[in-house]
Amino acid sequence: MSSLLLCLLLAAPTAEAIVRQADRAVLGENATYTLRMTVERPGRAERVVEMRGWKKGDDLGLVRYTAPARERNTAYLRNGDSTWLYLPAGEKVVRVGPKQNFGGGDFSNGDIFRLSLIKDYDPTLVGEESLDGIPCYRLDLKAKDRSVAYDRVVYWVRRDGTFYPVRADYHTLSGKKLKSLAVSKIARVGSRERPTVLAMESALETGSRTTLEFLAIEDDVKMDDRIFTPSALEKGE
Amino acid sequence: MVRRVLGALLCLLPTLAHAGSRELEAGLENFWYRTAATPLNRDEILGLHRTEDLLRASLGWKESLGSARVVFKGFAERSFGSDPKTTWTTRQAYAQYSWAGASLRVGKQRVAWGSGFAWNPTNRLEPPKNPANTSLEQEGSWAVRLDAQPAPWAGLILVASQGDAGAGDLPFATGARKRNTGALRARFLAKDTDLALVMSGGERQPTLVGLDVGRSVGGVALHAESAVYEGSELAPARPDERFFRLVAGALWTRDTTSLSAEYFYNGEGYDAARAGAYLEGLDAAYASATNPALPASARDEALRRYLAGASIPFASGLGLRRHYLQASWSRGEIRGQWTASLRGVVGLSDGGVALTPGLAFSPRGNLTLSLDGVLLLGPDDSEYRLAPLRGAVQARVKALF
Repeated sequence: MSSLLLCLLLAAPTAEAIVRQADRAVLGENATYTLRMTVERPGRAERVVEMRGWKKGDDLGLVRYTAPARERNTAYLRNGDSTWLYLPAGEKVVRVGPKQNFGGGDFSNGDIFRLSLIKDYDPTLVGEESLDGIPCYRLDLKAKDRSVAYDRVVYWVRRDGTFYPVRADYHTLSGKKLKSLAVSKIARVGSRERPTVLAMESALETGSRTTLEFLAIEDDVKMDDRIFTPSALEKGE
Repeated sequence: MVRRVLGALLCLLPTLAHAGSRELEAGLENFWYRTAATPLNRDEILGLHRTEDLLRASLGWKESLGSARVVFKGFAERSFGSDPKTTWTTRQAYAQYSWAGASLRVGKQRVAWGSGFAWNPTNRLEPPKNPANTSLEQEGSWAVRLDAQPAPWAGLILVASQGDAGAGDLPFATGARKRNTGALRARFLAKDTDLALVMSGGERQPTLVGLDVGRSVGGVALHAESAVYEGSELAPARPDERFFRLVAGALWTRDTTSLSAEYFYNGEGYDAARAGAYLEGLDAAYASATNPALPASARDEALRRYLAGASIPFASGLGLRRHYLQASWSRGEIRGQWTASLRGVVGLSDGGVALTPGLAFSPRGNLTLSLDGVLLLGPDDSEYRLAPLRGAVQARVKALF
């Protein structure tokens, strides 16, 4: 009996391993992608923006708007803890904060550019539970420092071996829920199957919701670090 | 020069016929000004009509093929009022080629140096912005620009340029001279802080040394841009004096709302005594110019002095006085159809205010209509009320393809 329990304990992945796997569920280490963002607000028509993105590791990210035409070439760059916005009308690069909302939606700049949680949070495996009939690990993530967008994240990850994230609830230090992320639509995009839709709902404003849909993804793309710099951003590269 | 560059761009067109990306834009701009007799326009000597109107039809073309890019932007302008005429202005016309860690851009181009929103003390490469309306599309300078990026955390930019020293988009000649400038900007990203060291100098201008710093703190992006140089940009020439300029500001954004504030210290700007002497000098020159007891040659000389003095605020420099504060607010409707904005510049040295409310409407994804008003308020001897203008309405329509 004791050896069976030992086997089970050895077989169960650690909280770190679960989060690490979930971090790579949508985008791999290095990837380029095409994204459609839909912002919904109660009583108002939705706003749709399309963009192209580049990601290298957890620290380097670049997103350029491709549609609608009036927002074309607007770009966000993340390098380490810094985020910049390029405004094509003034051909100007300005710094923005990581906690600020991305493109007027419910995702923060940090959410978009750091899909990885393991770097910013200390995870604890709380238990296992079903969410909408899907067996999941339930994890409690505490921010390593106050610079990240949220102090605490409750995170559900599939227990079927895929480690796809299912849901994340984002909280303040006092426990107040700010937002909720639902991850869905498993589909083959690029070289493998993966969740392709991320929907963030505000817990503070009923009916506020922003959906990111990955339309195309290319994994394991070689990229020069120099494209992730303000200099390259202002030259439109 | 313009013809040569346009010719070169047209030669490139067939090569780029199957380019990866092409962007076209067409627009109409109408700048309507209400003028006034002021100390810079005594007895309406500039001959301006009560209203002056600049109507522009603009075109833009951007073609990218791999590492090469060609950009052309310009407008035909018909002025209505005191001096009806049609002119052509090229805002940008350049070709750019990029290769590993470097790029070369040749032609008329925006340089857009500096973190300051309304003022850029480190930038002598292109005409200064209009601080009352920083959303206006600016004209670039003829330049050769080489960007090198030896490492992701370091970059070097070298520019040789010829550009106007004075402000644009005004309904009267500013008397701004051309200036030839060579400049170097070394930029670093260290510990999440943007740092840039700038050196520039050139024909009839002393060397400028500048420092530009940017950093995010919490949800606020902070910046400070400063420059030290010997010799004034603004008349009178003060070749042996050392001057310091500093712009420091902050930007906060959330959803589609943004707030910014910026303080500008203009070390070479006039203090109260010099501003008083400047106005007295203008009065004296104009009194001589209109004194029938003086010989014609003396009157002509006095008139030249008066007109040269009256053009000082527009011909060069970043402002006539020492201390300024700029603040702006903008809020967009979630679909991005409507955006409202309000900008204000306060001359802390003289109480002058330039207030710019604006509204933009995008009925379709590729069409934008914008309307800005400019109100110049404050004491009559303040900088913004000295200008021979009382206000402006700037309407623009732009379609993108």
